[in-house]
Amino acid sequence: MPSRRRTLLKVIILGDSGVGKTSLMNQYVNKKFSNQYKATIGADFLTKEVQFDDRLFTLQIWDTAGQERFQSLGVAFYRGADCCVLVYDVNSMKSFDNLNNWREEFLIQASPSDPDNFPFVVIGNKIDVDGGNSRVVPEKKARAWCASKGNIPYFETSAKEGLNVEEAFQCIAKNALKSGEEEEIYLPDTIDVGNGNQQRSTGCEC
Amino acid sequence: MIETELHDLSDDADYAASQQQGSQSITRSDSGRRSEPEGAEVVYMKDNVSIHPTQYMSERISGRLKLIKQGDSLFLTWIPYKGQNTNTRLSERGDSDRNNLYTIRPLPLTDVRSIRRHTPPLGWQYIIVVLASGLAFPPLYFYNGGVKEFLTTIKQHVSLVRSADDANVFIVNDFQDPLQKTLSSLELPGVVSVAAQSTNASLVASSSQVNQGRSDVSSYDSNTGSQSLRRQKNKSNDPTKDLSIQVLEKFSLVTKFARETTSQLFGENSGDPFLSNEWKRPSHSQSLPDLQSQPSTNDLEEVPCEVPVPADPMEFEKLALVWGKPRQPPMTKEEWITFLDSEGRVVDSNDLRKRIFYGGVVHELRKEVWPFLLGCYDYNSTYAEREYLRSVRKQDYEIIKLQWQSISPEQAKRFTKFRERKGLIEKDVVRTDRAFSFYDGDDNPNVNVLHDILLTYSFYNFDLGYCQGMSDFLSPLLFVMEDEFEAFWCFAALLERVGPNFNRDQSGMHAQLFALSKLVELSDSPLHNYFKQQDCLNYFFCFRWILIQFKREMRYEETMRLWEVLWTHYPSEHLHLYVCVAILKRYRNKIIGEQMDFDTLLKFINELSGQIDLDSIVRDAEALCICAGETGEACIPPGTPPSLPIENGLVSSQLEDEVL
Repeated sequence: MPSRRRTLLKVIILGDSGVGKTSLMNQYVNKKFSNQYKATIGADFLTKEVQFDDRLFTLQIWDTAGQERFQSLGVAFYRGADCCVLVYDVNSMKSFDNLNNWREEFLIQASPSDPDNFPFVVIGNKIDVDGGNSRVVPEKKARAWCASKGNIPYFETSAKEGLNVEEAFQCIAKNALKSGEEEEIYLPDTIDVGNGNQQRSTGCEC
Repeated sequence: MIETELHDLSDDADYAASQQQGSQSITRSDSGRRSEPEGAEVVYMKDNVSIHPTQYMSERISGRLKLIKQGDSLFLTWIPYKGQNTNTRLSERGDSDRNNLYTIRPLPLTDVRSIRRHTPPLGWQYIIVVLASGLAFPPLYFYNGGVKEFLTTIKQHVSLVRSADDANVFIVNDFQDPLQKTLSSLELPGVVSVAAQSTNASLVASSSQVNQGRSDVSSYDSNTGSQSLRRQKNKSNDPTKDLSIQVLEKFSLVTKFARETTSQLFGENSGDPFLSNEWKRPSHSQSLPDLQSQPSTNDLEEVPCEVPVPADPMEFEKLALVWGKPRQPPMTKEEWITFLDSEGRVVDSNDLRKRIFYGGVVHELRKEVWPFLLGCYDYNSTYAEREYLRSVRKQDYEIIKLQWQSISPEQAKRFTKFRERKGLIEKDVVRTDRAFSFYDGDDNPNVNVLHDILLTYSFYNFDLGYCQGMSDFLSPLLFVMEDEFEAFWCFAALLERVGPNFNRDQSGMHAQLFALSKLVELSDSPLHNYFKQQDCLNYFFCFRWILIQFKREMRYEETMRLWEVLWTHYPSEHLHLYVCVAILKRYRNKIIGEQMDFDTLLKFINELSGQIDLDSIVRDAEALCICAGETGEACIPPGTPPSLPIENGLVSSQLEDEVL
């Protein structure tokens, strides 16, 4: 990335249709929940300012269409992502089983430079439904899958109740920040470097 | 008349080439010789008469203009110089093709209606030749002067009278027919002249709107003078060559306006890559203040004030002035009845579609009219035939519906695809237009009907199945048709056309996005270049617009209006793509000026939702569509939705889809 301090963190939310991607995003950014969100067509994003260690970042959260048929759009929407959030509905086994597909599809389409270490976060949403009685995916099972994929951080949330959403996104933002840091090390600090010629020749980060 | 030569052309490559060519052609046979009639005498010849095919003043095709006399007839020719090395930016298309496109082969002056002379105080004089058909050639710029001499020569051979209305218009052939003469004085907007099917009767019938247009048009005409506004004789089969020339001519005018506009808006910004020096030349600026004070510009001022984004108004005001056929009130029941014969056949479906295109229909009529527009009913069917068809379809629907209704819970357990499909539909119908009264509230039965129709459709068209966005298409259909089975058949008919939007391989969407990129390239190449530079040529930011035909961008009533307008396929099957272009063009200066990247652009486009003024955008789209003409249609690959599929190869490609 260019020779300036990174201030934009791009996060992609993926998961089956109706697991609550739009609701999670809106709950986190706007602290609101609505029953009337329409199915997302194409993609959209919201932004939120976050602060870490006295530095201000813009978290750009991308909400995408959940139906598999629209995955081919990912190429355009996923590029430059710093973190990917995989969401499933704890009341739907299918949506959990699909996490693997979503993860793989993301890695193919976004083709991050270091796929093995690209940060994912998994969210099991809708824990409020039916007082938890209609739940079909045990937490243990979800955590086991996360562990098997390189210890992906895991959260259980209710976008409707606003439960655990803030915590999940704190983690998402931190991971997004971390993912860019290695690259950043190789970037000259534009504030300290006075010689413009040096800046020009820094295409060497791989 | 003084022929001004304010600009030194000695450093101009085109000019040098033409000079060279010109001197050679005195001794050698000139490039136009072959096409001259035998025994012809050249009575007038002028070199370095040029046209500007695009908005780049630097892009210019120069050639030689001649008047040739043969017997009692006078012919006009303009042949571009061969091998001219223009600074063309349209590298895809060969110069020779382009030059051929513009070439004026011997044209009898009897085919010419009028010649308009333009003598701007700064810049070069040019003329516009308008044919009797209403079509016109691109403006011919006289870089070496000679307009007066040209007109004088014509006058020596054919009847040439100065128009009583405008001293700069010279009428070549006066009409014999008093009716035509009357019509000619109306100066119908260019739209009418291109809609060549119109009969005299329909022109007279729509005279109210003609008159309405007239005030705009005539005042505009007297300021800048556009041949495209001249009326035409009704000639239904004009050669496509002429049409394409007219199209390009219109482009040249539009882009000229764009140039002036842009140079005003960005006048100070010399670093702007889209501003060549020529753009800043105030060559026609004297006409601008008048234009801005046109009454018709109110159209744009009427855009709701909540629009926080400044539009790109001037360019479009002018575009609207050139072609904007005023929108009409929706068609009423009384009008509708006049389209039907005693047995209920639509007598002239073209007329009907045209009428609906310009104003839509009143809501109460939609239930009756939409099935025709969607192809559910043949325009030639009688009341009795339709009644019979209804009863058959009602039964057919029930049979298809029974297919999934008869699946027991035990069977469903073993039928994953069915459960998944049903689950997807259940998730979507409860979030489809729930804020709209017809679908709001808990346990609204209409939501269940949406569900049943979608699930039935996914059995009727098992290969396509269900895809998100379909519920958006169905919602207004059910609201209008009320009956479940009728809504179903309308939906099925609509999906015959837009179904490919939902192909798993997204081929239908990609075809449309591709066509859109070509249309933008054609109608606004700086914007195209900007998108290219920003790596935005996939046009994914327009994905939602196209997938569900602006359903999410407008209010419910407006969506219904837009859809019935689009379904007429009146100026084009693909008007929705021109609607996209119109919106993008409206905000082009903002997009380019703020250097929007893909993300910003997507966000900006998504947030235009609810801020698009339907009537003015449709007007713009119509103008762009007419303007692009066949060149525009050529940008759209055959079979691009909503065209009907070209062949049944579609079936196999859908079968490869993973069926959901």
